[in-house]
Amino acid sequence: MAHTSARQPHHPLWTRAFHGFNLVVLLVMAASGLQIYNANPVFGGRGGAVVPDLFTLGGWLAGGRDWHFGFMGLYALNLGLWLALLIQRRRRRLGELGDLTALKASASAPRRRLSAHRIVYTLMLIVLAFSLISGLAMVKPAQFWWLTSLFAFAEPLGVSSWQALRVSHLATIPAMVLLVVAHVVLSWRVGGLRLLRAMSL
Amino acid sequence: MNRRQLLGLGLGGSSSLFLGGCALNGLSEAVGNATQPLNERLEALLQGQGPVPEFRPDQVEPAALLVNSFNGTPRLDPARYRLQVKGLVGRPLSLDLEAVAALPQHSCVMRHVCVEGWAAVVAWSGVRLADVLRLAQLSPLGGYVLIDSADSYFESWDLASALHPQTLLATHMNGAPLPAANGAPVRLAAPIKLGYKQSKWVTGLRVTATLGERRGTWEDQGYEWFAGL
Ligand code: HEM
Ligand code: HEM
Repeated sequence: MAHTSARQPHHPLWTRAFHGFNLVVLLVMAASGLQIYNANPVFGGRGGAVVPDLFTLGGWLAGGRDWHFGFMGLYALNLGLWLALLIQRRRRRLGELGDLTALKASASAPRRRLSAHRIVYTLMLIVLAFSLISGLAMVKPAQFWWLTSLFAFAEPLGVSSWQALRVSHLATIPAMVLLVVAHVVLSWRVGGLRLLRAMSL
Repeated sequence: MNRRQLLGLGLGGSSSLFLGGCALNGLSEAVGNATQPLNERLEALLQGQGPVPEFRPDQVEPAALLVNSFNGTPRLDPARYRLQVKGLVGRPLSLDLEAVAALPQHSCVMRHVCVEGWAAVVAWSGVRLADVLRLAQLSPLGGYVLIDSADSYFESWDLASALHPQTLLATHMNGAPLPAANGAPVRLAAPIKLGYKQSKWVTGLRVTATLGERRGTWEDQGYEWFAGL
């Protein structure tokens, strides 16, 4: 999808708004999450290595929790509305099985790139929705016990459902770092600076 | 370096880099104050009345239960121990351990979740906090229960959580008498609250109509008060 026209139309305002706000709130969630991580590292417990202060937000455990749970509502609301609108109004833009086929079989490099691009940003939305679900399972393990108990899958391997849950929730961060890098590179290759401008507020 | 690399570097490097470093850490408390009232109301709503499903006794994880104490390990003489119940009650009590043991015994196999992030399945048994409060003829004016501990740890609970059928004054852990490190002879245990709400070495219960200036050892330093699970 090389853009020949000099004037790339803007994406709809709501798309840009949800996209931009999501990025800001996600940074807050990730940095405050890492602050919580440091109170008792998921890997290694009390003796485990901690994340450098540079990447954390909150200053101490209670501060990290202030941010994480202060922003979880905004994060969930933004993601939920964005997903609902996207599915209702822009479903064509989301990745689908056809993209996987194109990725494997298409002879056209731009077509393959576009398919990869669509798959990457759709995967990001799925990862973010998963962070929300695993997060809920950890804030409310008593009330949402049915959600928490889904994470018992690793018990046969000797990993408690709580540890599986913590690792799954934490995994949002490395997964998103990789996907965001891929997303930015692919957006760049698909549409260059013009597309970036069309997507920014 | 071309523009593409520059962009990638900027993103990878700066992601959360500066958030905490700037003035933002100083705002943590303000963010908490702005959002906790709503969060706590939702938590109270969710908590409802129903009991939380329990684990099987063979699922306990004794090794996972870490010990946190803010002021050492008080060793209470079981013979001289008394549980004081006062405040908005018709009949103030001073129960010795025999009187506690004479109340109906209950157990609860639950997940103990620490605010630090770890959790452990523990089997507690003892008496319901609700039974003790009713024995003392809890006044309808009561709204909160303040909990004093022998190590001067302090907590306060909303009455609904205190009366929850799985909120226990535990005297036994995993089938054995409570060890000193875990709060002997009497401690709070409930599946509906974070670990710091569950005072060890409990010596006094005071029923009040309102919350005072002091809300809890950790709460007064900035941790959430309701702390529901
Ligand atoms: C942090 C997580 C991010 C997520 C979840 C995300 C997600 C998405 C989604 C779902 C779309 C498609 C929107 C639509 O067409 O309605 C999109 C498009 C786009 N994103 Fe992101 N994005 C993220 C970060 C970024 C960043 C950091 C940049 C750039 C610096 C960026 C640049 C773009 C551009 C240029 C487009 C337009 C692509 C096109 O229309 O083909 N995104 N993003
Ligand atoms: C609505 C969404 C979310 C909720 C309800 C939520 C909830 C939680 C809870 C309850 C904890 C404490 C876990 C513990 O005590 O071990 C936690 C930790 C954490 N969260 Fe979230 N979270 C959400 C979204 C996110 C997002 C989007 C990210 C990252 C991008 C994230 C990253 C982390 C990290 C790294 C930790 C530390 C892991 C640990 O110590 O177990 N969270 N979150």
